[in-house]
Amino acid sequence: MSPILSTSELSRHFGGVAALNLVSVAIEDKQVRSIIGPNGAGKTTLINAITGRLPVTSGTVTYLGQDITSWPIHDRVKRGLCRTFQITSVFKGLTAFENVRIARQAHKGGSLRLFASRGSLKQVTEDTWAILERVGLTDKALAPCSSLAHGDQRVLEVAIALAGGPRVLMLDEPAAGMSPTETDQVAKLISDLGREMAVVLVEHDMEMVMSISDRITVLHQGGIIAEGTPAEISDNEQVKDAYLGSEKWAPLVALD
Amino acid sequence: MAPAAGARKHNIKEALLFLAALGFMMALPMWLPNRFYIRLVNEIMIYGLLAMSLDVLLGYTGLLSFMHTSYLGIGAYITGLFLMHVAPGSLWLAILVAVAATMLVAWPVGWVQVRTGGLPFALLTLAFGMMYFTVAWKWYSLTGGDDGLMGMPRPDITFFGLTLASSGDSHAMYYFTLIVVAVCLLLTWRVIHSPLGAVLEAIRENEERAAFIGYDVRRYKLLGWMIACGLAAVSGSLFILYKGYVGPATMDAFAGAAVLMMVLLGGMGSLWGPFVGAAIFIFMQDYISTMTENWEIFVGAVVILLVLFMPKGVAGLGGLLSRGQKA
Amino acid sequence: MGALATVVDLILNSLVLGGVFLIVAIGLNIIYGLNRVMNLAHGSLYALGAYAGYTLVNLGGNFFLTLLFAPLVVGLVGLVIERVLISPMRARPMVYTLILTYGLMFVMDGCLKYFWGKETRFIAMPEFMTQTLSLGPVQYPVFRLVILLAIAAVMGGLMLMLGRTRMGVNMRAAADIPEMVSAVGVNLRMVQMGAFVLGCVLAGVAGALAGPLFTVYPVMGHGMLISSFVVVVIGGLGSLRGAIYAALLIGVVQTLAEFFITDLAMVLVYMMMALILVFKPRGLVGEGKFE
Repeated sequence: MSPILSTSELSRHFGGVAALNLVSVAIEDKQVRSIIGPNGAGKTTLINAITGRLPVTSGTVTYLGQDITSWPIHDRVKRGLCRTFQITSVFKGLTAFENVRIARQAHKGGSLRLFASRGSLKQVTEDTWAILERVGLTDKALAPCSSLAHGDQRVLEVAIALAGGPRVLMLDEPAAGMSPTETDQVAKLISDLGREMAVVLVEHDMEMVMSISDRITVLHQGGIIAEGTPAEISDNEQVKDAYLGSEKWAPLVALD
Repeated sequence: MAPAAGARKHNIKEALLFLAALGFMMALPMWLPNRFYIRLVNEIMIYGLLAMSLDVLLGYTGLLSFMHTSYLGIGAYITGLFLMHVAPGSLWLAILVAVAATMLVAWPVGWVQVRTGGLPFALLTLAFGMMYFTVAWKWYSLTGGDDGLMGMPRPDITFFGLTLASSGDSHAMYYFTLIVVAVCLLLTWRVIHSPLGAVLEAIRENEERAAFIGYDVRRYKLLGWMIACGLAAVSGSLFILYKGYVGPATMDAFAGAAVLMMVLLGGMGSLWGPFVGAAIFIFMQDYISTMTENWEIFVGAVVILLVLFMPKGVAGLGGLLSRGQKA
Repeated sequence: MGALATVVDLILNSLVLGGVFLIVAIGLNIIYGLNRVMNLAHGSLYALGAYAGYTLVNLGGNFFLTLLFAPLVVGLVGLVIERVLISPMRARPMVYTLILTYGLMFVMDGCLKYFWGKETRFIAMPEFMTQTLSLGPVQYPVFRLVILLAIAAVMGGLMLMLGRTRMGVNMRAAADIPEMVSAVGVNLRMVQMGAFVLGCVLAGVAGALAGPLFTVYPVMGHGMLISSFVVVVIGGLGSLRGAIYAALLIGVVQTLAEFFITDLAMVLVYMMMALILVFKPRGLVGEGKFE
């Protein structure tokens, strides 16, 4: 099966520093692919380069058989390449409902109706409630987003991305700062989503990564040092070296 | 569903307020002591419309235009030129042509502006505004230069072939302005609450995220810009019909600051706020400029104080009192 | 021969005009780079510099003394502005400081009018500077050459200051990564304040230089403000290199336009700006940081 999304020798330099160096990675449909690595390994840079937040220095990104390397962001999203952000990026002044609704409207169309009401887009409203239901935010839908707890805002991030009708969903540390209970819920959600679409997950919580990933790619200093199933990665000596001295690796050792 | 019901209740409240305000404005000339005050209120409505159009940009889309009066000026000049040189009697056609032509000017300028990003956008509005000002000031043969555009004919106000009054009559002009402004306000309300309005709001709240849910941000900013400039052009048509004259001072930097101050006074992000702001500003100007030559210092100082201590304006105070909408 | 003289004249005039734009625009850029504030009162500070020069010369001071006196006055005013108005606004969205400095611009213009009147003022120059110098076939006013030298000196001094002094190095670092500077124990607030005052000092120098050149009147800052915006936007926001290219470009275009089409010259400048931005929305030097 050909991958739904792939990069070929993708590089991104900041000044003289290579944040990404010749990264080639292929993402399969309907799988959870985790990208791990120590801080500064280039995980977020990779997501930014794929989604168009950062222009690449060289290399290509191929999505659904097309070279999208220099596409504008919104065109990528319209084709189903959706993402969340490491630092929560929602529409703070709007309600949770409106956050998701506006994203759904982008996907479904109708934004150029100048003289209709927002509620007239019935399908959009219906879908919005379904998405909120799925992520468990129905009760808090009408609260202003800024009043939501941190964990709920992180979940809302995912809901907004889901509203875009993703075929590839890129999640940048979705569980950052969440309580253990919330983390479990989000892990379950991601795992389910991985059966419907391709999920690319950047995450520091190794327990979660090991339990829900189909494959794992390990980045170190901007390059790929290993790729494989969770079991293969946890046995990999090079990966252990890269993480040496980092506490983040501890859960993996415990898993052995 | 819950939000629909809440919104409906809110809409009914807003509709009642609107009708009350409209009724009050209809009756107002009866209480005004003389023609001077009728003209003053007329001017308030015109600048209120301009300030509201700026607020569509600033309060709803998050884009700052320093010289929004430019588009009032362009609308006014085009209305005047059309009435003088093309069709002296066609009031409605003149307004339509002015709006269309202003938008034709605003389109390429807006297109360049939205490509550059938030801060350069604001700086460019100032640069292009000065350009328009220079043209109005120096292109003597077309605009009358410093003297302004004079000798505009006074067309009759007609409605489907029915001649109602002359636009030279203060009372008739008052009601004409009131009706046009009310229609513009309703249309703007509709657009703000439409799916398009929702997109503009999202861009204001978080431009990057708006792109990452699939909106072509530049395109929607340009749409917001065009709507704002179209409304400003309507205010320009009303302006020259009311004054019978337009000069370059209408579009200078100070006039731009004045409109910005009206929006700030009224509070960003509400449609009625700018009208309140315009009323406060114009009454103040009328009162204070007769007493001091340093009106400029006063306006500047009030702008500074507003930004420092009352960034939400009068509408913000209202919001605090009733815990109603967000400003 | 007349043609050659005109050409040389135009080139030198372009350099003088571009040089003044450059000093004002770099001041704006330095303030923006460290404070994320686009100071719309910058043109008025420039005008204040010119008036300070005018007053000093009127009281019998030497023209060269004004090049120290004007920046001192404007720098002090800038310090007060930073402390009272800019500093409390740091945490707020940029749109507020934009509007705030717009208000400040009108207050300052009003004050200039109040203290010095609406009339256009002329700054008297030392005797030797009113003469002309023969450069081959060209007669060129000594005064303009002096101004060119002064601009070069200011730019040289600024480069030395940014490159060699501790404050300068801190400023450049802070413009890139403010967090880093705080982390290594530099007082970011002090650096930001210093940058604001430095920007104002540059506006003061430019005003003192330009006063005798363009005459002095209360709203002389408006045109300068817009031109320096054009320089900053075309050059790329926050980019010093871009500002140099853009200032020279605008200097040349404006000088030529004023020579050939006089009244609507500025329209041509804006058209060119628009055209450049169509192809290079981030400015000539793409390192510009945009909000």
